[in-house]
Amino acid sequence: MGLLKNQQGAIRLFDKDIAKHRIEILKNVGSLIEQPSLYAHLTAKENLEVYRKIYGSPKSRIDEVLKLVDLAGTGSKKAKQFSLGMKQRLSIAVALLHKPELLILDEPTNGLDPNGIIETRELIKRLNKEEGVTIIVSSHILAEIERMASHVGIIHKGKLLFQGPLSELQQLKNKQSFVQVDTSDNDAAVRLLAEHGAEQKNGLIQFPFQHREGVAAIAQILIANNLAVYLLQPQQNDLEQLFLHITSGTI
Amino acid sequence: MNFAASLSSELLKTKRTASFWMSIIGAAFIPALFALAYTFNADKIAIKLKVMPWGQHFGQGWQSLSSFLLPMYIILVCALIPQIEFKNNAWKQVFSSPQSTGQIFFSKFLTVHLLILFCYTLFNVFMILFALLVNLINSKYTFLDSSINWSQLMQLNAKTYISILGISAIQFWLSLRFKNFIAPVGIGLVLLIGSIIATGFGWDHVYKIPYAHPILTLMSMKGKGPLVLENHELNSIGYFVFFTLLGFLDLRFRKEKG
Repeated sequence: MGLLKNQQGAIRLFDKDIAKHRIEILKNVGSLIEQPSLYAHLTAKENLEVYRKIYGSPKSRIDEVLKLVDLAGTGSKKAKQFSLGMKQRLSIAVALLHKPELLILDEPTNGLDPNGIIETRELIKRLNKEEGVTIIVSSHILAEIERMASHVGIIHKGKLLFQGPLSELQQLKNKQSFVQVDTSDNDAAVRLLAEHGAEQKNGLIQFPFQHREGVAAIAQILIANNLAVYLLQPQQNDLEQLFLHITSGTI
Repeated sequence: MNFAASLSSELLKTKRTASFWMSIIGAAFIPALFALAYTFNADKIAIKLKVMPWGQHFGQGWQSLSSFLLPMYIILVCALIPQIEFKNNAWKQVFSSPQSTGQIFFSKFLTVHLLILFCYTLFNVFMILFALLVNLINSKYTFLDSSINWSQLMQLNAKTYISILGISAIQFWLSLRFKNFIAPVGIGLVLLIGSIIATGFGWDHVYKIPYAHPILTLMSMKGKGPLVLENHELNSIGYFVFFTLLGFLDLRFRKEKG
């Protein structure tokens, strides 16, 4: 957004170099940076008016965005009297004023109560589906990202470690999952399950998890060979563990 | 997306702020004080104000204002306008809106000056209104029978305005630099008091200090010559141009904005 000086490389947005066409690009970008930056002494409408003048959007747009973020009834209430969730929604309304093609939200659910988190998430999804806005969300709440995003990038220590659709990340996640087994004769069980990639680890048997049916089939093999099964537990990595694996370089 | 839009957006931000109320209260303070003095000490003051009542009234009014209150007001307004963004964490939002740094800097600085001119206008209006009011209550005064020397009044206004230009540019630059409100106000106050003391001692180089310019203008006005710019007033314009450019370039080439 031109807040930081570009140290190396070039940034292109909408097929234009931001160094040369910064203002033109910014007309198409809405942003919410860190905490809500609203004027506490102004009402919701006045806050929007401050930016409406700059973007040159029509006056009717103010009521539209207020309705969109569900803040139409706040009247003469000043922004300082708003709850954090309301402030966050008003900030998103500011970012939406000029109908941007791209919306950049930095930690939009930061510091919100569960209700506020759900409201914001629903709003983000609705904006994408109904208004066709492309939204970039940065967050450290991974479960939140899993529920909202279609594409994910993981940045660690300034390096982009993963970039792709969420489904690809989920595949990666499945690859990392395994099933733990303990039977009355683990040596025999490993031999039986060798073709499934089983191996002995810490006195237990482990094999990669593919799908639930696979687990059932393995149980049947073990029972058919008269082995007593004490433990049969799929261990699925959640996004958090996957993140740790990715950032520590074990994938 | 032009400068007018940026300016109108900046003006809206001052609604209900301390800077707006301070401009009104600051302008009313001395006229109100004078009205009280005129009312409760009518016998003595009415005799003094027999000859050229308006000239004396305005002369004394500006004298009370210019040396300390006016520069102090400038220091505060210059600090309060950038504080609107600092206080609300809004700098980043401003810088990521489609405005050039020049638009942002100059629309803010112009807002500061519009507030100052608003305060000037109000001061004159209040001076006249309160004097007329006192005269209506107490017929010993002769404000109603005398006319105002408008050209002299305009000259007084114009010259004091020129004398504060330097301070305004320095203070505005400092106030954009420091997130903390106390820093620019503290620096300004120290320089202002230092300048008042230096003027009191009659230091030869005092005309080079921008914070002494309002008092110097006031002292030079006693001669009541035609509108000629004094040395220190030219200095004030020089400081104004230099520090306005410095402030702009400082903001423009800052590594990390907001």
